[in-house]
Amino acid sequence: MKASEEQLRTLMVGGLDGNAADHAELLRTLAPLLRSFFRRRALGSDQDVEDLVQETLIAVHMRRGTYNRDRPFTAWLFAIARYKMIDHFRRVRHLIPIEGLEETLAGESFIDASDARMDVESLLEALPAKQAAAIRATRLEGRSVAETAAAAGLGESDVKVSVHRGLKTLIARVRRKPR
Amino acid sequence: MTTTDQLIDQLARDVPPVPRNAVGRRLAGGLIGGALASVLLLILWLGIRPDLGTAMHGSAFWMKWSYALALALIAIGATARLARPEGDGLRWLWLAAIPMLLLAGHGIMDMARAPQALWLSMWLGHSWLVCPWRVLVLSVPIFLGLLWSFRRLAPTRLREGGAAAGLASGAFAAMVYCLHCPETAAIFVLTWYSLGMLLAALAGALLGPRLLRW
Repeated sequence: MKASEEQLRTLMVGGLDGNAADHAELLRTLAPLLRSFFRRRALGSDQDVEDLVQETLIAVHMRRGTYNRDRPFTAWLFAIARYKMIDHFRRVRHLIPIEGLEETLAGESFIDASDARMDVESLLEALPAKQAAAIRATRLEGRSVAETAAAAGLGESDVKVSVHRGLKTLIARVRRKPR
Repeated sequence: MTTTDQLIDQLARDVPPVPRNAVGRRLAGGLIGGALASVLLLILWLGIRPDLGTAMHGSAFWMKWSYALALALIAIGATARLARPEGDGLRWLWLAAIPMLLLAGHGIMDMARAPQALWLSMWLGHSWLVCPWRVLVLSVPIFLGLLWSFRRLAPTRLREGGAAAGLASGAFAAMVYCLHCPETAAIFVLTWYSLGMLLAALAGALLGPRLLRW
């Protein structure tokens, strides 16, 4: 079941007004939503995903006072979910795989309404041109290191180092600015 | 799966109504508690200036106090925005330039009226060495109060949230310190009060990622 922003918001506001049934239904609706949100981001074991779902539900419950009734509910929800995920990565010192990173940054169409969207292209622009080109070719366009090196007239190790440094910078940047 | 369902049942058992401006109330609670503790600390530690009643009839007291108040309101506004998960950054803090420029204009006019030989003593006053540190110390109880507030809030930019809360603590602490401080020059306040607030903001930025995690 895919709940709409409007439905979720109504349940949330009901809960804020003290309606326990609305609040319970909200949390029950959110659980599968969050489960797929975290699962899609390749978090490892099902247990990790379930832990994150529970932590996020607890945060939604404990910190529901921070929801502003005049603003989109899903933007608020996924800001919390994303924070919990980044906190989780920080704890387990897990590197975010680049396939997941793109999605994490771009968010999903669901949250387009929120201001949480960040473009991989705009992130890449912040990197030195050589690193950005190497990442674009090997990670986004799916070329091999050898092809990329030949096309750019560089050594293979040079390309590998560029990709590695660029990704490191991006990950540091994304962690510093969880959004 | 069952455990998540159990968790939801457990959470849904306790659903008190939440007022509309819950973030503001929560921050105000921590702020008022912290400010009272800070005033108490000032009374026990430095004492209130004996001529406070007379000073409150003069303009210097209100100049200092309203400068600190303006910065305090801007900083607590930024803190309130950063207390929500989707809150934006410190952009609002640029507003702090307005009271600073106003006070700088005030200071320049004072200096233009005074002989040049007095400028240094106006700037340093009698307490420039201790003023920033006292503001920093007085900000500690207020920062602790805000940390209590944050236990139910949801900041996602911890460093920025810590900096904003630190600046707010420093600015409110400066208002408390006005009850003791006998300095009167605008340029003194602009330098040393602001330095104390900046120290508090830096401490907040350093501690934020550790203390505001949830």
